[in-house]
Amino acid sequence: MITLPTEPLGLLALAAILVPFGGAAAIAASERASAKWLCQGFAAATVAVIAILVLSLLGDGKVGGTYELISFGSVSILGLVVDSVSVLIALAVIAIGLLVAVYSAAYLNAGNREHPDIGRRRYYAFLLVFIGAMTGLVFSSTVVGQLAFFELTGACSWALIGYYESPKALRSAAKALLVTHVASLGLYVAAALLFLSTGTFALTAIADLAPGMKAVVLLAILVAAWGKSAQLPFHMWLPDAMEAPTPVSAYLHAASMVKVGVYIFARGLMSAGGAPEIVGWVGSIMAVLTLVYGFFMYLPQVDLKRLLAYSTITQLAYILLALSLSVFGSDLAFKGAIAHIFNHAFAKTLFFLVAGALSYTAGTRLLPSLRGIVTKSPLLGVAFVCAALAITGVPPFNGFFSKFAIFAGGFEVGAHHWALMLLVVIALAESVGSFAWFLKWLGHSVPGKPSTTMAAAAPLPAGMKFVLVALVAMTLVSSSIAASWLG
Amino acid sequence: MTAMVPSILPPLLLIGPLAVALFLLTLPWFRDSLPEAFATDKGSVTLLERIHLGSVGYVFLLSVAALIQVLSSGAISAFGDWLFVDALGAVFMMLIGVVGLMTGLYSIAYIRHDLESGAIDAGKVRIYYGFFSLFLFTMLLAVTANNIIMMWAAIEATTLGSAFLVGLYGQKSSLEAAWKYVIICTVGVAFGLYGTVLVFSNAADVLADPHQAVLWTALVGHAAELDPMLVKLAFVFALIGFGTKAGIFPMHAWLPDAHSEAPSPVSGLLSGVLLKCALLIVIRFYVITVGTVGTGFPQMLLLTLGLLSVGVSSLLFFVQQDLKRKLAYSSIENVGLIVVALGVGGPLGIAAALLHAINHSVTKALFFCSAGNVLMKYGTRDLRAVKGVLRVAPATGLLMMGCALALAGFPPFNIFVSEFMVFMAGLNEGYGWIMALCALFLCITIAGLVKIVADSVLGKSPETMAKGDVGWKALAPLGVLAVLVLTLGFAVPQPLSTLVQQATAVVMNGDSRPVVAAPWQTYDRQTYDTARAGGQLVTGSLSQTEISK
Repeated sequence: MITLPTEPLGLLALAAILVPFGGAAAIAASERASAKWLCQGFAAATVAVIAILVLSLLGDGKVGGTYELISFGSVSILGLVVDSVSVLIALAVIAIGLLVAVYSAAYLNAGNREHPDIGRRRYYAFLLVFIGAMTGLVFSSTVVGQLAFFELTGACSWALIGYYESPKALRSAAKALLVTHVASLGLYVAAALLFLSTGTFALTAIADLAPGMKAVVLLAILVAAWGKSAQLPFHMWLPDAMEAPTPVSAYLHAASMVKVGVYIFARGLMSAGGAPEIVGWVGSIMAVLTLVYGFFMYLPQVDLKRLLAYSTITQLAYILLALSLSVFGSDLAFKGAIAHIFNHAFAKTLFFLVAGALSYTAGTRLLPSLRGIVTKSPLLGVAFVCAALAITGVPPFNGFFSKFAIFAGGFEVGAHHWALMLLVVIALAESVGSFAWFLKWLGHSVPGKPSTTMAAAAPLPAGMKFVLVALVAMTLVSSSIAASWLG
Repeated sequence: MTAMVPSILPPLLLIGPLAVALFLLTLPWFRDSLPEAFATDKGSVTLLERIHLGSVGYVFLLSVAALIQVLSSGAISAFGDWLFVDALGAVFMMLIGVVGLMTGLYSIAYIRHDLESGAIDAGKVRIYYGFFSLFLFTMLLAVTANNIIMMWAAIEATTLGSAFLVGLYGQKSSLEAAWKYVIICTVGVAFGLYGTVLVFSNAADVLADPHQAVLWTALVGHAAELDPMLVKLAFVFALIGFGTKAGIFPMHAWLPDAHSEAPSPVSGLLSGVLLKCALLIVIRFYVITVGTVGTGFPQMLLLTLGLLSVGVSSLLFFVQQDLKRKLAYSSIENVGLIVVALGVGGPLGIAAALLHAINHSVTKALFFCSAGNVLMKYGTRDLRAVKGVLRVAPATGLLMMGCALALAGFPPFNIFVSEFMVFMAGLNEGYGWIMALCALFLCITIAGLVKIVADSVLGKSPETMAKGDVGWKALAPLGVLAVLVLTLGFAVPQPLSTLVQQATAVVMNGDSRPVVAAPWQTYDRQTYDTARAGGQLVTGSLSQTEISK
């Protein structure tokens, strides 16, 4: 016998997870021609569900709660946590999912100059599963739930990265799956240890652990987070994952997959009720190492997508740095981290979709041959500029506000530990450096007379235009949304 | 050991497949006196299929009936306790029933295809179905035997029963595989006989009634009185002997050949059930040994061999190019993991081992049968030639992808549940490093499985290949298995959980603490507290609403 949660919030969260899965099943059962429409329809329906959830949570005074899922008699399966953090991130996951679905319909067709394609059902079905799995992860209230969805996102990214089925793409896909799976062993350890010490998988039980065990569990979660968020020493899958169709890259980098890592770590810290300092030290030192490494890897890149891959690695390092700093008692850094997850999602999606639009229309994404974008296509040029400035944290774009909160929180705790101050200063230096580097390519590619490749570019399809405009708007307003929501 | 309830079911269970096997195999001698239908080829094949279906259906129904009786009234026995089914045996009896039925159903389409393509003739069809039933009979005998000599004899008989199935196609490679299988297993199982006789002769001296010395139940009851040195020796021999049959490294050499050369349904049966039957005998000896010398010695041996099996087979798995050989190595690996779980011990470890045995049986039978579909379609098992299964045969391709993910241990498939339990049991008993090593080896396997899907299931299909799946008769039983794989991953059903719990109690001599559940199954406060207060190890967890209360 199945009994569903009776509380509206729990029911809505469950619906947000199940609607995309239902959509994937519908796509599998229908003709190829209708796949893209079904995908967009179900993604839009999910957005509607999450919008209602946002409104009802607001009406509830943002209290939320923990809800049980489906139960068979006395035995029930999985639980959901609905609070301001999970709803905010789920909103980004689902909204970007819809934008990517719309964009994909315009991208995967014969008009694509880089990868002409017919838009197989497989693609749309896995994209929906990806949205559902990511939403499930965000709402999971148990380590095992996280683990299940963690692996599911891995499987989806594997199917999508290898979509073009070229040997290189398949190899990259397998690499992504395996590297993240090795890292996921951390989550296995965390789940098993938590269960053996407390008898439950509920994340909130982390708070009841003895300090030593708590540190081990959180560090194990951190290892899993490094894997998904492509941090040292598990970063190598991400640049290779650029073999994916670009809308998928955008989704992987912005809203799902890499965000799995930072999210589970944030959730772990939230539930821990004060973490041992060792977790903060390990987390922040590795984050700064990744930052510096990521920055140096910017320099040799000429493929826009690979450059963006390394930029993702460093941006996630910022988030992990902020989360680690919050261990030392800075609430501001934690909120900054959550806001940065949200803001970066929109900025990075925009940047990837610009890259995708360039390869769709001009047939290349090699930066040296792309010049005069704004002259040929004003919308693409503007979007490129907005994305670059948002990523590097220039006001008034969203990246600035969350980075500011992170650094402010960093200096707050740095005042007590000189070593932490040093880490924050290094991070600040990287921030300036990456701004300079993106400015260089911005100046090279956007203004001026179009290069031959750019001059021959095809016009942008309407679907892409719509998505780019929506995302440009979000790079301006998303930080206000996050700030007012998190308070 | 509680008293066993006399029952007619064990002999009934055995007699059906035996009668069918004898009838089919001796058919030529009295064919003339039978009705017309047996005379023509076409008619006889249909009739053979019906008889075969009757046999596998009978085994399935009777094993379900026996299971129900075991669950409701405890162990059942017959023939002066020579035959018995306890909860432990019932686990394996059910595997024979379920996997036997599904591979039996699948055989119909598979053998018909072989007949049409000329790989075998009508006479071979009779041989196949005859030996199929005989094979089921020998395995059932092995799991229902209480007499330890009969256990050994039954395991020996399974070799003879299945060797003809392995060599069915009569090609050089399959005959060689069958020959290797017979030689290695006979030699191996001879060690088992030595172990068996050692235990028996020792017990005959010690026990008040020497007639009891041959019964496993009596041996377990008096294990503490046996000579520790002799029992240790006997366990080593039994482990080598029956371990050969179970495919434990380094006695596994026969397995990849036999599993790859046999007709696919038989491969599924060999890998899914036969290995587990041999493991059951190892477990039975393990129980006696633990009773005599404690857990230290047998667990050390099991951990060593199990870890070696997992390690070596994961590497060999990765390099194979033949689909069915690959799957055979994966079977060695999974058996290795079961052995590791046994070696980890504790109620949780034993329960994990049993659950993994069940899950692996179902999944591997499904995978081998899917490989059978590939073989029907492509005519080869070479992964370099098999490309684009998903385009050629969508249902088979989908099944293979599901199997690969399931075998790789991804949630929400069943293997994840039991692998996670093994892992948890290991950490619980303080074997963190061994678990970490196993987990890394499993990652290599995942790489291999992903490679199968990426290179062969996906990709472009050969242009000459006709599109279209194999018929529904081949797909339907696989569908049922796939549903099982998914359901068991979603939640462990109550009867199965009870069965594993009782079986663990048999192995742990009464300790029935583990409550087996998928990690995401949660309980209400009352159930949970009662269980924990009773010292039970609940593998599901407390529900969310209960915690927040």
